[in-house]
Amino acid sequence: MNHSLLRLMVLRKLGHRGSRSVKKRILFNILLIGLVVASLVFAQIFVVSMSRGIADKYALLGNGHLQIHETGELELGPMEGLLDTQLVAQSYALIYSPQANKMIRLKGVGPDYFNEMRLSQLTMGDREADEETNLPRILLSTTLAEELQVEVNDRVALMLVSQNSIRPQLCVIRNLYDSGYQELDANLVFCDYDLMHRLFGGKEETYYELLVEQSRMKIIKQELAATGYSVTSWDEENYSVATNLNTSRQAVLGVMVAVAMLCGYFISELSRELVEDDKHKIAMLTLLGARKVFIRKVYFTTVMVVTAVSVGAGTLAGIALANNLGPLLSYIADQSIPSLAYYLLDFVIVTPVLDLLLIIVVLVLVSMVSVQWSLRRVKVIEPLACTHFD
Amino acid sequence: MMKSAEVLSLKQVSKSFPATLRGGRPIQILQEVSLSLEPSTSIAITGRSGSGKSTLLQISAGLLGCDSGQVIFENQQISTLDDVKLSMLRCKRMGFIFQSSLLLDDFNALENVQIPAMIAGCSEKQARKRALELLQTVGLADRLTHTSDQLSGGERQRVAIARALVNEPAVIFADEPTGSLDERNAQLVEDLLLNLVDEHKVSLMLITHNNAFASRCNIVYHLHDKKLEVNA
Repeated sequence: MNHSLLRLMVLRKLGHRGSRSVKKRILFNILLIGLVVASLVFAQIFVVSMSRGIADKYALLGNGHLQIHETGELELGPMEGLLDTQLVAQSYALIYSPQANKMIRLKGVGPDYFNEMRLSQLTMGDREADEETNLPRILLSTTLAEELQVEVNDRVALMLVSQNSIRPQLCVIRNLYDSGYQELDANLVFCDYDLMHRLFGGKEETYYELLVEQSRMKIIKQELAATGYSVTSWDEENYSVATNLNTSRQAVLGVMVAVAMLCGYFISELSRELVEDDKHKIAMLTLLGARKVFIRKVYFTTVMVVTAVSVGAGTLAGIALANNLGPLLSYIADQSIPSLAYYLLDFVIVTPVLDLLLIIVVLVLVSMVSVQWSLRRVKVIEPLACTHFD
Repeated sequence: MMKSAEVLSLKQVSKSFPATLRGGRPIQILQEVSLSLEPSTSIAITGRSGSGKSTLLQISAGLLGCDSGQVIFENQQISTLDDVKLSMLRCKRMGFIFQSSLLLDDFNALENVQIPAMIAGCSEKQARKRALELLQTVGLADRLTHTSDQLSGGERQRVAIARALVNEPAVIFADEPTGSLDERNAQLVEDLLLNLVDEHKVSLMLITHNNAFASRCNIVYHLHDKKLEVNA
């Protein structure tokens, strides 16, 4: 059986020089499958980007990618992938405003803590507190400020627990920040490292916060551990958050794969439809001496071409849609819709190539198997059947 | 098996169909029918509607099995051939023409003729050349790119004749090829078919109601009461 015949038959099945109804059917199926694939790709990119965005917030603002639990001077040689090292201190305190109070995590940071990388993760308020005050100045999130019903320049009291004594400390709100993720913002308050040390008198937890390249994180951690430092990573420090994010991603990927399987199965409907409509032609081809294997190959190739085009177009559409989502998400975030308050809406879009590959491969494999299965019906069409239409 | 000069022979072939009603008796269509077709000869089978003419043609071409008897095509007993061999036999050694032309409506006239040649293993170029020649022979050189719905009944039937001849078969099985045509077109197809069969040295098994058409064949059989009789 020659390839030119296969090509000729497949092209005609695909609507090349064919009737309008054939073209319409093929286009409709490409659109339908493409739409499902685009939705799957978009949803997976969205979920992965959002969970990575949340992880970034925790890593960049919460604990750093890596933590070295050391109070003395660090002696780190040049290390590939190491982006920033900061000595920070943290403790817990109660914050009081005239209207409300809340348990917070107070984090003491140096003057160059908010570098470009960290600033990219949050929006600082335009309004800075007046300089003329001797009170310690702290940085609150807009979420916490709303809860406490305070603004920049307002005074709040911190109830500190240090050296077996509890004492209040009046502070003034220097500025408000918004990381876009309320779970983190709700209890994270920044202050100067020196102030932290002064307030807690050495009872605070002090460690080095390291920002590193994601791809080098494990290696750097191993190198530091080998040097003798006690090192933890952000996911170890925020175990439940990291586990939840990971589980959510796996669960969503599982759902996407299941939908891809259903979509793959749906594709066999196209082959079933084609064969059902072409019974007479199949019988005719059999009468002319075409082998069933060849006829099955024609229909299989046709459906797989439709699948490949749909999957390709759908994937590109999903990626394009996801990558142009930024302005829309920013707009939604700006609207401060209460029901979306606990969702991160400001994150960088990343394309999870492996996840998308898995979804596509599953869809294509399931469609291949189910199309082959549905093409069994070609076997029962006898050449004599064409004369029944006579 | 002794090699014979016959291209097709039926020996004591019987065929019945199951009763349509439960408990009914099977309907006997053919009873111990025998016939032989020599190379480059034509036979016509006539008979009233429902007498089993088409069934006889289908059994002869291996499209339908028989209950008993033997169908031998070019020294091969058809019932012993597997699907692949039977497909090859149909493709290379048999040509079919039915009452309706049964063209593939996705394809134009030229492609309809070239497809069986490509199925038989010809290259696209060879198949196209052969199809072109045959379509010119049947007078459709100006209808090459027309699809089934753009051709008249007579033209479709001429395409079917060209298609049946494209692989230079041993036998053409024609079941009422002029049955759905007007008198002028029927005459045209009749002449064309008989001339081409003669010209290409092909055997013809023709099923027809038309006695005049049948009489132009070398042998005329009449199927009556499940039996085949040779007409004078």
